[in-house]
Amino acid sequence: MKKTSEQQIDQSAKFAFSFFVASAGLWLLAAAILAYIAAAKLTNPLFLSSWEFFTYGKIKISQANAFVYGWGGNSIFAVSLWIVARLSQSPVRGTIFLIFAGAIWNLAITFGLLGILDGHMLGHELLEMPKEVWPALFISYLVIAFLILVVFRSRRQSVTIAPQWFIIAALIWFPCLFLFAWNGLEINAGRGTLQAILSMWFGQNIIWLWLTPVALGCAYYIIPSVLNRPIDKYYLAIFGFWCIAGLAPWSVVHHLEGGPVPMWVPAIGTVMSIAMVFPIAVASTNFHATAFKDVSRVWNYLPLRFVIFGTLSYTISSYIGVIFSIPAVAKLTQFSIINEFHFNQRVYGFFSMIIFGMVYHILPQVTGKEIGTAAKNFHFWTSALGVFALLLAYLIGGLTHGVLAQQPSLAWITVIESVKPYFLITEFAFLILGFSQLVFVLNLWKVIVPNPFSCCEKNVEQKTA
Amino acid sequence: MNNIFKFAIYIFLTLAFAWLAFFVGAKNQYGDLEPTSQYLEENNSIPKGADLFPQSMPGVAQLGAKEYLSLGCVTCHTQQVRTIDAGFDVERGWGKRPSVPRDYILQKEVLLGHNRVGPDLANIGLRGYTREWLHKHLFNPQILVEGSICQPSPFLYDTSNENSEGAIIVDNGESTLFIKPTLRANRIVSYLESLKQDYELPEISFIETQDEDDTEDSKQAEVASTKDYPVGVPTWLATQIESGKEIYMKAAPGGGLCFTCHQPNGQGISGQFPPLAGSDWVLGEKERLIKISIHGLMGEIEVNGVKYNNVMAPPGIPPGSLTDQQIADVLTYIRNEWGNSASAVSPEEVATIRSTVKDRGPMQMWTVAELQTESSSD
Repeated sequence: MKKTSEQQIDQSAKFAFSFFVASAGLWLLAAAILAYIAAAKLTNPLFLSSWEFFTYGKIKISQANAFVYGWGGNSIFAVSLWIVARLSQSPVRGTIFLIFAGAIWNLAITFGLLGILDGHMLGHELLEMPKEVWPALFISYLVIAFLILVVFRSRRQSVTIAPQWFIIAALIWFPCLFLFAWNGLEINAGRGTLQAILSMWFGQNIIWLWLTPVALGCAYYIIPSVLNRPIDKYYLAIFGFWCIAGLAPWSVVHHLEGGPVPMWVPAIGTVMSIAMVFPIAVASTNFHATAFKDVSRVWNYLPLRFVIFGTLSYTISSYIGVIFSIPAVAKLTQFSIINEFHFNQRVYGFFSMIIFGMVYHILPQVTGKEIGTAAKNFHFWTSALGVFALLLAYLIGGLTHGVLAQQPSLAWITVIESVKPYFLITEFAFLILGFSQLVFVLNLWKVIVPNPFSCCEKNVEQKTA
Repeated sequence: MNNIFKFAIYIFLTLAFAWLAFFVGAKNQYGDLEPTSQYLEENNSIPKGADLFPQSMPGVAQLGAKEYLSLGCVTCHTQQVRTIDAGFDVERGWGKRPSVPRDYILQKEVLLGHNRVGPDLANIGLRGYTREWLHKHLFNPQILVEGSICQPSPFLYDTSNENSEGAIIVDNGESTLFIKPTLRANRIVSYLESLKQDYELPEISFIETQDEDDTEDSKQAEVASTKDYPVGVPTWLATQIESGKEIYMKAAPGGGLCFTCHQPNGQGISGQFPPLAGSDWVLGEKERLIKISIHGLMGEIEVNGVKYNNVMAPPGIPPGSLTDQQIADVLTYIRNEWGNSASAVSPEEVATIRSTVKDRGPMQMWTVAELQTESSSD
């Protein structure tokens, strides 16, 4: 009986899920190409320099946006839709609206990125897309989030569990965050550095309160369900959740340390960043204490291997992040390429790895087709290698950059010369990552495309990407 | 958290509190900052007639800010000098003092940035780069700074192999090019020149650093700005020009503080302060020039066909404190910089003029009408 209802739910989620995953995959490729161009331009500034379209600043910013909204947004819709439907034991409704809103979301991002490349960007972090596309993005988001919440609302059992908290919270956080930021940046725009505080607040929170909770929710879902054992010390999970909810919105402004803002702003940020050790420790204990009881299963079931890679990376680098927010250390690393380490760790090392795992876990169940083990393994190892090389280069390069930049007698160009080798490593790392993401998309392609319905989606997608 | 509506409200509140503090709270604290004078009276009021800071950017620079934004320069360049406790920005020579919120209140696009792959630009307009140098750097940074990874922007220039008016010569080692800045390039350069926090505010004063002049950046700036002196200048004249430049650029006791209004490039600020470059007042008769340098000038003045109406306090810190030698040096400098070329001014000449006006009160500024009647009656 249970089996059939699960199949019905999978069936109901199939079209929407495939659509969002396919869109996400194409955006991932677009972001990978942009990331490579940006990295190559740092090692050779003359690369593609005659075209204004390819200026480093524009490429870099559109890459971040393609990644967060294109890949991040679509994959969030895909996995939260499926997980919420499964946990609520309630079928997905309004597929046609989901796909319609999803198409608008993708079109809006496409126009937004073209707008950035054409020189119409706004000056706010991760809100750089031109003003005109935001209403479309916002409304299509509301439609999608509403339809996911409808599934949640019609759930069979009233008690909720950790994956639901994280995913539902993330779905609600994004529009709130957007409205708060938009109000302070565009509608009742504050003067001077008020803008800078709010822009920093939004840009960092979108990672902390949108991408991060969804990935954590996925981990809370997949680990117990695959290992078939309860989360170890599950009673801590709710504490961890409210810690993130309560602390993250305050912690993100510590990057403004020493800047032209009231001193209490970065001070609060620093205190709250250090307090973030609690939720990190909780998530880490929950995930790893459970997973390490059955290491062979984790290792042999590839989706779970991806997820545990992500959670380990989350734990390690979140602790590194806490250390780097201590003022004495922040003095060195504040404006260095350590920032790239934080961003890439969160989006590649943590979020993307977990989403890869989830997609590999869900896709066979939804479509009934298995993806080749060798192809998946290849994707895992190239991803792991790419992420490892990238993060290590940014970490060591960032420390070099930061320490040398604090020596006033050293000419700036000498500082940059010593960071250059690390830029070269990141260029190779982005090449490897791009290659591994191509393998991921090909893997998806093989499973999704034979379906006649997804064939039409592909066409839509090719237009938008 | 089993009720979605309650849960949604809690989630909303987590953000709302942080937003209330960081936006509403901060806005109440400093959202209504206004420009103010460098020093306040004892009762905290602004002294009469004092210049207010920060000053708004010239229109062309505001357009340049938009171009700067659209090219994504903020990805690699910050525009903030951190406090002494938070970093070595001042020691590095990136500013005379840490940046404060008031510096940014008149900027439409506040681009603080948080990555420094390139140097901080909050005070780029103070580092003495000429327009030509900035244009060349924008066109191809690698020609000027070997090993730079700053992105070239050749698309902002009309390139040609032949010289034409207004073109800048670029020699990249292999060939010589003549580049003509487009409107956009000029806007960006004007914007960069306008980026400077060269005034003190009641809440922050300049910070003395001992070895400021030893930093590479300022050395580089010196090389960049002094290298194009006409060759074959006699030593005494070169010394006078050198010393005059120092006075012109100095914002400390003994200096002239000239550059704050007339700008390091001698172009002034359109509509507010007249240019010195190519000005008939500078290149013309020495007497009225010396008089202005002793007592200052107020009221309407027409320079190169454009009318200005402002107050020029007697130059120097404190006002009117420049010696005969200093006035001679700085006048010789402005008569021989930025393409100007006119005879040098000697301390004796200054002394002679000073003795003719010794009855005049120390802060009694000249007006154009006075200067003209005096010179015609002579």
